Amino acid sequence: MKELKYVGKRLIREDVYDKARGKTQYTCDRKLEGMLYAKLVLSEKALAEISINTDKAEQVPGICAVYTHKDVPKTKYNPHNWTPGVGAPEDMYILSEKARYVGDHLALVVGETKEAVEEAASLVEIVYREETPVIGLKAARENKENIAFEKESRCGDFGSLPLENLIVEETAGSTQAIHHAPIEPHIALSAIDETGNLVVWTPCQTVFMVRYHICSLLDVPYTKVRVVKAVMGGSFGGKGLSVVEPACAFASWTLKRPVMLYMDRPADITATRRRNPSEMTVKTAVDKDGKILGRFIACDFDGGAYYTNASAIAMAFSKKLFRLYRIENQTIEARTFYTNTTPGGSCRGYGSPQAHAVTEVNLDQIADRLGMDPCELRLKNVVLPGDDDPAGGTNLGDARIRECILKGMEEFHWKEKRAHIREKNTDRYAYGVGMACATHGNGYKGGYPELTNVYAQLHPDGSAEFRIAVHDQGCGTVMTMQQIGAEALHMDPYKIKVYEADTFLSPYDSAGTQASRVTYVCGRAVQEAGEALLEKIKNAAAAVYGWEKNRIEAEDGMLKYPGTDREECRTYGEVSKEYEKKFSRYLHADIEYEPDSNPGVYCAAFAEVKVDKYTGQTEVLDLLAVHDVGQCMNYTLSEGQIEGGAQMSLGQALFEEIGYDGKGNVKSRNFSKYHMINAPDMPKVRSLFIEEHNTDGPYGAKSLGEVVAVAPGPAVANAVNFAIGSRFASYPITPEKVVLWLENKEKE
Amino acid sequence: MLLSCTVNGEKIEKEIDPAKRLLDFLRDDMGLTGVKEGCSEGECGACTVILDNQAVTSCTVYAGQVMDREILTIEGLEKNGELDILQKAFIENGAIQCGFCTPGMILSCRALLMEKPNPTREEIKRAIEGNLCRCTGYEKIIKAVECAVKGEVQ
Ligand code: FES
Ligand code: FES
Repeated sequence: MKELKYVGKRLIREDVYDKARGKTQYTCDRKLEGMLYAKLVLSEKALAEISINTDKAEQVPGICAVYTHKDVPKTKYNPHNWTPGVGAPEDMYILSEKARYVGDHLALVVGETKEAVEEAASLVEIVYREETPVIGLKAARENKENIAFEKESRCGDFGSLPLENLIVEETAGSTQAIHHAPIEPHIALSAIDETGNLVVWTPCQTVFMVRYHICSLLDVPYTKVRVVKAVMGGSFGGKGLSVVEPACAFASWTLKRPVMLYMDRPADITATRRRNPSEMTVKTAVDKDGKILGRFIACDFDGGAYYTNASAIAMAFSKKLFRLYRIENQTIEARTFYTNTTPGGSCRGYGSPQAHAVTEVNLDQIADRLGMDPCELRLKNVVLPGDDDPAGGTNLGDARIRECILKGMEEFHWKEKRAHIREKNTDRYAYGVGMACATHGNGYKGGYPELTNVYAQLHPDGSAEFRIAVHDQGCGTVMTMQQIGAEALHMDPYKIKVYEADTFLSPYDSAGTQASRVTYVCGRAVQEAGEALLEKIKNAAAAVYGWEKNRIEAEDGMLKYPGTDREECRTYGEVSKEYEKKFSRYLHADIEYEPDSNPGVYCAAFAEVKVDKYTGQTEVLDLLAVHDVGQCMNYTLSEGQIEGGAQMSLGQALFEEIGYDGKGNVKSRNFSKYHMINAPDMPKVRSLFIEEHNTDGPYGAKSLGEVVAVAPGPAVANAVNFAIGSRFASYPITPEKVVLWLENKEKE
Repeated sequence: MLLSCTVNGEKIEKEIDPAKRLLDFLRDDMGLTGVKEGCSEGECGACTVILDNQAVTSCTVYAGQVMDREILTIEGLEKNGELDILQKAFIENGAIQCGFCTPGMILSCRALLMEKPNPTREEIKRAIEGNLCRCTGYEKIIKAVECAVKGEVQ
């Protein structure tokens, strides 16, 4: 492949200058003339008929409106349906008629100041007639009516395997409810523009989805609603589904005033979305050489109080399990249950963190039984480049998990550490190393509509712009797109502007920032648009200067042509000017892009831990993550993804959990109780990349932003299990659980 | 009450409600929106400012408590258009992703360097233990501070 000039370089993204100076305006920093504030009043009960008295709240000076279910449109929606075609059942109103979880949106207070709004919110009187809620999967399973979705996925025939002659290992485990924990809580701002359009600024992941929801709920045409992606203070999937936008838009549209709907942290934890908790059993059958012959997985998801992603989480989970190891006979039974807790939604990794949490522990148990090295066991079974998905999904493409494992083993000194780590043990501390693998996807190809559009222009001043509906969540998407555009156009990336999503300005994109599709799909689209634009620039130069097109070279924003006596040079800007003047044409390219493929992306993570047997605390001493990334777009950004993703995955392994009591009250309503990993608890994360691929992504790239949050967790679980001889497969592995396990072991 | 204090080097006098949080005073009355709110109870560090050379979470301090004291926010770090070395180091090292934790993070580090110009890696970690970041995994933030300390900044 020819050498890349801009892609793969550690370029500094442009937004960070203002962010470092506190100048960037997030939604919470904006103030519009006549702007009102709005706050949702949330249910304090998990299941109850309600009656609401708003009289006192309305009397607070400065309060403009207090809305309840009776005031909002009697139309339901599903905040998960990002386009009408997704078609998951619609069961949610802007404000609920009944309380179905602690945090359910019951009323909306709108007023001139935050103080007035806070006071009025506390004066909304809600009478609850409580019913017995369903909390947790165990309770949910008691009644078949709680099943929201169920589906069996399979390849081969697990049932026909002669299990009695095989080595069969069964592991039961679970994953917990996780809060996305963007440091910026959910927020939206809405206003009516000068020509009567409804404008919504929101740090969201899919503007076209938010538009769809608002238009269907308020019965306004698509053409009258402008949704603008605002600067985002993190999402991690939490802002992936509509949450506050419909209520904000409703208030603004009704009052004809700008409205900012804000949330605080307890609301963000209880009343938005969460990673679906799961409980599963994994049964794997291997021969004595460690070849996996079949696997059976039964998994139940807690979907929460509304349908949202009930089907999607089960499907996303199931699909991935066919794409990491070659398993000829596999059956996966996935079910999602309604419960009276916060609804589930997209969350970094979408199904993968659950899928790999227990299966990867199960594999280590098999290795243990066979007396085989866990890496060797995996190497015998991992998929190879070009493999098909036996369950009928898209081809796995250039799947390089094998190299991830091999490279990781070498760099981590796996064999040596695995053999000798326990020599470090003391009375108090036990040491262990463990590893895990993971896979994720590259967009929606093969599942849902997958297309995007780009409109690119080259201006007379030599700058270029790309209009494509991307949403930078903070990870540097815009910089990535600039680098891709620069590579395609042969010009300075800092002279390229990539506008973020705006339904009035961006051409249509089918799915937004979801499903790890942005680099792979949108990035490739930008590459193709850039290449098409460069063709047009060359054509223009050929027409304007009478040059032979195939002798024109492009470099650094300049066209070069070997003239008769000396090389002629023209800047792109000059070409643009002349072209418009002579031919009445402006330089632009317009493409619609649908990818041909959706390969797997892979990771192998290696962890070393130190378990304090007195306190039960686990310290992660070292973490190495090897990613089959295809081509890094920008090493600084890529490492940033891996380090941040590890923070989330290690949190799942050891600390984080939204806890509920039997009545559905949320026990961890703020960061004092919801334990995110802070700097002292975070190990140094080492990143390695497997590159030089054949993929359809831009310059050979694949996705990275989600797969990073999957393997470190199970790698740590395996390391802990290796250190103390436990069999933990239920997350998080808290000090209490470790201490209890050690105590029981002593008693034995 | 009539509050007089110094904000970003400038003496100010303002009539305020002493029970107002310092966070709201800075954001709403002073327009210093670089001060961010992430949890409202002293647990995330997004609202960190420097009060008399000490990093504090401005959501847990009342405006009435800052009489005659000196406050530094992210907006006050650059001098005559020149960024503070920490700001530069954060930019250059990829320590900023979504940026919502950044002002608080930089100020916690600035307070550390005021007290200890040559902190160890452990001391840097401890200085930001109250600042949560969901994006970066902290590594590049720590690296940025190390670079600032060593003067390895352009
Ligand atoms: S907002 Fe003050 S510490 Fe979180
Ligand atoms: S950069 Fe996003 S929270 Fe720190």
